[in-house]
Amino acid sequence: MRLGFVVERLLQLVPVLLGVSLVVFLMITLTPGDPVEIMLGNERATPEQAESLRREMGLDLPPHERFVKFVRNALTGNFGRSFFHRRPVAEVIAERLPATMELTIVSMLIALALSIPLGVLAAVKRGSILDRIATVASLIGVSMPGFWLGIMLILLFAVHLGWMPVSGRVDFSHEVPRITGMILLDSLIQGRVDTFLDALHHIIMPAVTLGLAMAALLMRVTRASMIEVLQQDYILFAEAKGLGRARLLMRHALKNALIPTVTVAALETGYLLGGNTIVETVFGWPGLARVIVEGIFSRDYPLVQAGVLVIAVIYVSVNFLADVLYTLLNPRVKL
Amino acid sequence: MRKTPWFLAVSAVLVFPLGATISAGSAEAAELRVGFTQDALTLDPANHRKRETETIIRNLYDGVMTQTADGRAVPELAESFRQIDSLTYEAKLRRNVKFHSGDPMTAADIKFTFDRLTKEKAMGGQTSPRQSLLGPLADVLVIDDYTVHFKLKAPWPVFPRMLPVQEVVSKKFVEKVGHDALATQVNGTGPFKLVEWRRGDSIIMERFADYYGGAAAIPPVGAAKADRVIFKIIPENASRVAALLAGEVDIINEVPIHTIGQIDRSGKAKVVKANGTRTFFIALNVTRPPLNDLRVRQAANHAIDKKTLIDKLLGGAATSVAGVLSPESFGYKPGLREYAFDPEKAKSLLAQAGHANGLDVVLDTEGAFKDQAEAIASMLTKVGIRTKVQVWEGAVLTPIWRGEKKERDMYLTSWGSSALDPTGIFVPTLRTKDRGNSSGYSNPNVDRLLDAAETELDVEKRAGMYHEAEKIVAEEAPWIFLWVPQDIYAVGSRLRGWEPGSDSRINLHRAYFAN
Repeated sequence: MRLGFVVERLLQLVPVLLGVSLVVFLMITLTPGDPVEIMLGNERATPEQAESLRREMGLDLPPHERFVKFVRNALTGNFGRSFFHRRPVAEVIAERLPATMELTIVSMLIALALSIPLGVLAAVKRGSILDRIATVASLIGVSMPGFWLGIMLILLFAVHLGWMPVSGRVDFSHEVPRITGMILLDSLIQGRVDTFLDALHHIIMPAVTLGLAMAALLMRVTRASMIEVLQQDYILFAEAKGLGRARLLMRHALKNALIPTVTVAALETGYLLGGNTIVETVFGWPGLARVIVEGIFSRDYPLVQAGVLVIAVIYVSVNFLADVLYTLLNPRVKL
Repeated sequence: MRKTPWFLAVSAVLVFPLGATISAGSAEAAELRVGFTQDALTLDPANHRKRETETIIRNLYDGVMTQTADGRAVPELAESFRQIDSLTYEAKLRRNVKFHSGDPMTAADIKFTFDRLTKEKAMGGQTSPRQSLLGPLADVLVIDDYTVHFKLKAPWPVFPRMLPVQEVVSKKFVEKVGHDALATQVNGTGPFKLVEWRRGDSIIMERFADYYGGAAAIPPVGAAKADRVIFKIIPENASRVAALLAGEVDIINEVPIHTIGQIDRSGKAKVVKANGTRTFFIALNVTRPPLNDLRVRQAANHAIDKKTLIDKLLGGAATSVAGVLSPESFGYKPGLREYAFDPEKAKSLLAQAGHANGLDVVLDTEGAFKDQAEAIASMLTKVGIRTKVQVWEGAVLTPIWRGEKKERDMYLTSWGSSALDPTGIFVPTLRTKDRGNSSGYSNPNVDRLLDAAETELDVEKRAGMYHEAEKIVAEEAPWIFLWVPQDIYAVGSRLRGWEPGSDSRINLHRAYFAN
């Protein structure tokens, strides 16, 4: 991989992030609804008191000045103060982001663990009963809305069977000193196996809810791509040479077939980060997506702007990593 | 036998080993858990305007006054509270109150607390967003270590009722840690101390052993009964109900109406209700045709079958009102004449107003009240007021209706008054050009009565003024008068010592589990 490529990709980030900031700023500024009025609600406030609140929020400045100020401050890592949390936005995001990241990563792992073996199996046994079951199952998986699946899982595994907790990240009896904010990782680093298992216990239902829809999609992509690769001449040649079936599939076919899977998985990270909103709400998961949506309803401009920006940075970074992964999967791909 | 869906089977395979080895954390007997809709925005009592935040904070901090379940303001940190003259109130403080740090609470802390709430930029350069809740409070004078005088700029009879929503902070502590630190650090005088705040997830508290006991007027007095209290944040309604039924939490708020039967039948929990503080109504734009005609407005009131709506849509959990005030409010007058459901009378009133062939209007509302608006629209349409419902987002709709220019027809909305005093609801919604006067109603007699009542110190006279004003408003019908919904909670069947109040609080000081 050339250094020039990395630099080029990093430079590409600048217009992307500037664009995202501008679009979010415009959308939230043009949306009717005044944060000061929302905050004061129905209570009595003199015009002077409302004006003082407006000044404190920086809303007395014209929009273009507010945007320039936001960008200038954001460059130094200062995202301003949240109107409603009444403290620095960076703090709010730093608290919530690890929970969202943790859920996204575990969901993705579940999706990959289910989709790749099933996709390969369905492709190899194309047309068999197994293939048909996998295809129908993936269709159901794609069609099931997350909030419905989440509630069904809660009713079955938490209320009726009593196996799983309804909500939260870890039981109150566990205290985990924060290192990364991702409890699974932090408890492992600190050798706290009981906390790790408890956190795993808590994350399974939300992660399965998010991961299943993605697994279904990735399975279909893997299956299609695998079928195509299996029809290539070099596979026939390898087979004719008498190469073992397992070695042929894993080493020669799957590696090439995974490129579209990696692409779709990276693109779908955006879906996971955004789709988290519903799952975070259903499972009381204290993540960033939920806080951004609350911010939209209360017109918490600084929080929404910074939150969306952070998600955009993650999204672009994940897709950059996917590009890097191509080179590992197929050395002919040069970056 | 029904087939198990594949996803459930997969999930079962994934979760079974864990489910078998780890028991879903069950609450210990003395640990009380609340499944709550929203996290606190901050733990600083002076730096928010959110009722849910107040509910959580109120277990950590006490106020000079508190409120009983039926809405009376009674002394809490004060031993006694009285009015000296029209502009001065005196609070004599208890002598045995300690902050969680062990420091005693004195008059200096009260002054510091109220200065922080009311003075410009008094919170480390910020002004408290709660400033306006204290109306004309000008200053707090320290008379001695245990006596303070609250001085007002103008008479304001509702002042004592506004004190239960302000909590007392420690001057010494704030000066030591700084104003910003109060967002996460707590040194209150309340029955529970903060253990940990896991943002967005839970707030964990434990009993404060040196608690002075709480308001004398609300027995039993003494330290909290529960060892630990946890507010667990579960925003989704179905998940909150599931957590209660799974035994993960002991109290939940905002119970959805359609789950009431399920909870009551479960044998594990029961539903409890309290009269709310929010009056629902449809503001009718009286400034332009067709609703500037009294007969049309009266016809609209006669067209609504409130009993059916309350029974079918609100699960019976609402009280019909004939006017503005909730039955719990100061100044409520029983026996105010209510518009009866009478479609024939409605039609005849419309015909008299020249609308024998009916008329067309639009009813605005927010998404949360769409069902109610649709049902009301169909009732109005039946008598000839052909009503189309338009759903908006609250933040967009409110300014349209609160603005000076009234260009729309009807607005299904509500107004809450946590102090349960007409000052908080009658004045803002019906006095000429006041901040919540959506219908554009204006009557000099009503304005005169409301203004006079605002500063009238004689309780009987003051109530009489509101009675008179409400009678005029009911006759002139600037609203379709609807109902006051109840707040619905559910509690585990072993929980004792807590009943919901009209102020949405969940004070757990006296709550415990039956054996």
